[in-house]
Amino acid sequence: MGISELLAEYGSKYLLALLSTWQLTLVSFALGMILAIVVTIMRVSPVKPLRMLGDFYVQVFRNIAGVSLLIIVYYALPYLGLVLKPLTCVIITVTLIGSAFGSENFMTGINTIGVGQIEAARSIGLNFFQIIRLIVVPQALRSAVLPMTNLLIAVMLTTALGSQIPLNPQELTGLVSYINTRTTGGITTFLISALGYVLTALVIGYVGNRLDKKVRILR
Amino acid sequence: MSSTEQTPVIELRHVDKHYGQLHVLKDINLAVNKGEVLVVIGPSGSGKSTMCRTINRLESIDSGEILIDGQALPQEGKELAAMRAGLGMVFQSFNLFAHKTILENVTMGPIEVLKVPRKEAEERAMTLLARVGVAEQANKVPAQLSGGQQQRVAIARSLAMQPKAMLFDEPTSALDPEMINEVLDVMVELARAGMTMIVVTHEMGFARRVANRVVFMADGEIIEQGTPDEFFDHPKTERAREFLDSIMEH
Amino acid sequence: MSAQVSVRDYLYEEPGPKTRRAIRMGTAISVVALVALLALIVRSFAVAGQLDPKYWSFFLSPATWRFLGMGLVGTIEVALTAGVIALVLGFVLMLMRMSSYVVLRGIARVITEFFRGVPSLLLIYFFFLVIPQYGFKMSTFWMITTPVALAASAVLAEVFRAGMNAVPVGQTEAALSLGMRPFIVKMKIVFPQAVRIVIPSLISQLVVVVKDTTVAYVVSFPDMLQNARVLIANYDALVSTYLVIAVVYILINYGVNQLAIYVSKRSGGKIVTQTNIDPV
Repeated sequence: MGISELLAEYGSKYLLALLSTWQLTLVSFALGMILAIVVTIMRVSPVKPLRMLGDFYVQVFRNIAGVSLLIIVYYALPYLGLVLKPLTCVIITVTLIGSAFGSENFMTGINTIGVGQIEAARSIGLNFFQIIRLIVVPQALRSAVLPMTNLLIAVMLTTALGSQIPLNPQELTGLVSYINTRTTGGITTFLISALGYVLTALVIGYVGNRLDKKVRILR
Repeated sequence: MSSTEQTPVIELRHVDKHYGQLHVLKDINLAVNKGEVLVVIGPSGSGKSTMCRTINRLESIDSGEILIDGQALPQEGKELAAMRAGLGMVFQSFNLFAHKTILENVTMGPIEVLKVPRKEAEERAMTLLARVGVAEQANKVPAQLSGGQQQRVAIARSLAMQPKAMLFDEPTSALDPEMINEVLDVMVELARAGMTMIVVTHEMGFARRVANRVVFMADGEIIEQGTPDEFFDHPKTERAREFLDSIMEH
Repeated sequence: MSAQVSVRDYLYEEPGPKTRRAIRMGTAISVVALVALLALIVRSFAVAGQLDPKYWSFFLSPATWRFLGMGLVGTIEVALTAGVIALVLGFVLMLMRMSSYVVLRGIARVITEFFRGVPSLLLIYFFFLVIPQYGFKMSTFWMITTPVALAASAVLAEVFRAGMNAVPVGQTEAALSLGMRPFIVKMKIVFPQAVRIVIPSLISQLVVVVKDTTVAYVVSFPDMLQNARVLIANYDALVSTYLVIAVVYILINYGVNQLAIYVSKRSGGKIVTQTNIDPV
């Protein structure tokens, strides 16, 4: 199938698929960040059971295979009385996985601060919450920019899981499978979707790098 | 020194501390009066840094008492924070806030803890930075400064809280040799201005010149104390003699 | 890096009596909350009848595990083959990326950016659906192994590059001053040291390969998930089977990650993963 023919027939579907990929990516990443913050707070809390639960959560969701999680959410949860839309299932899956890696990034960011600065802050009479607000959070956020940029790209790649369940509209990977099981679309069908991913990744990487250069903490 | 009736600014009574099996502070008794400069020396692992850090409770103690201006050192909360605000602390590794400018490092305490208006805090900070000789660096970040400059900023940061005493935990140990004096000069000037100071250090020249009293620690104990002349010229104990010999050889 | 003292432990100072009481209180409350949560989950299983022994008892039979194990062997074969190919390709890509020829560098750059920016599932569909359209016949094994290897090679190229850059410049300078040719210096002096630095990262990258391999059922390759589907059809036990499979994957990847951490602690190397490679 030639490219003009392909675009004439599937052009609008590709556009919808690109938008769908972007939507899944942004929503999952945003929710993932919120969850990552909650999990990180649990992991640094002085309450032992919360710490253990947070660590456990991260180990489970950074090691689980994406498909096997999606399958559980989409196919198994209905047996337990919880029926969710396919879109919701993809978002939940990607969010859970993304939040585990996000929390790891935050933990690394917190660890680069160093005990010394915390002690210095204590010594000038700052209380716990002031130390968190003035020293820990700003530094952890700034050193997490680059890892989070990469995570955003990884989240986008993970949304391709959407091709494994009946999603409507389809995202970029599902569409390639859809077209090629109906016609012989050829390599172009694949390249268009690939380009959608690669260009988005390049833009994310560029913006992330610029932001990182601006806020990076000299050490 | 002056009359023994006055309340010491800092007093440790029968302070004990363990790290697991290790007995790091053994029945420490020490009193520092207003305006006194106390220099603590001793081999590494002698507990001198630990002792210094217990005074503003960066380390807790197992038993005994620590009194600041006659008041028991609070164990937590607002009271502890307020007490710490009144004691300056200077660390071996400077510990400036990496994401803040030099000026912000110095104004953070006054603005956040003492609730001084920003403008006033900045003016006072600039005066202090000038006093320690780094006013031109005010808008840089810590990583752009040399170690000596960073340590002088750290001193200014502590002074900004208008502390009643200053604790120095090996302030020159992490510095290149050519930068040691610029930091010591600031400390000498502080001592001359009447600041109450506890200085843990290996700088014997500084101890001789500035200390009112030298405390020698080893194995978690205070072995002996006296005026610099007494201690350096006529040490009373074998341990102190050995220590002085070992550092004089080089 | 050696001592595992983290700021996590220093965010809080040694607690005073009031703080200790508050922490004890928080601990008690959170234990109660966690137990309640667990009870709620178990209850929802029970209400749905999913705790019925018929859904779980076949996991006690060795035959079940032998069958799943066969699938697991398939998964491992794909993962290891893809891993080896990716090592070689990644190494070549790294050499190209670091060569002194602009054209080679450009090509390598485009290849790595492409395969790092594309989901492996899309690559799998390419080999499964598109390639056969051009008359190429591939076994299902290679339909899954090739795309997984390609995706991993791009990441490994970056990992290798990070490792090469982590070797002190003095090593290169010293070798050059002995009169060695730059390429020989790269191969004989820098690369062996770089490998030692990146070994933990290579191990942890295996986790990504294993995860990518789990979609082998897409091309009908008999991996663990594919065999799980057979089990589900036989026993009508979807929930329990998928949960068990998920746990198996988690344990495998957890094991690989722990190995990477262990090796990195011993060698002092830092673990470089997809999410901490500098983008672009």
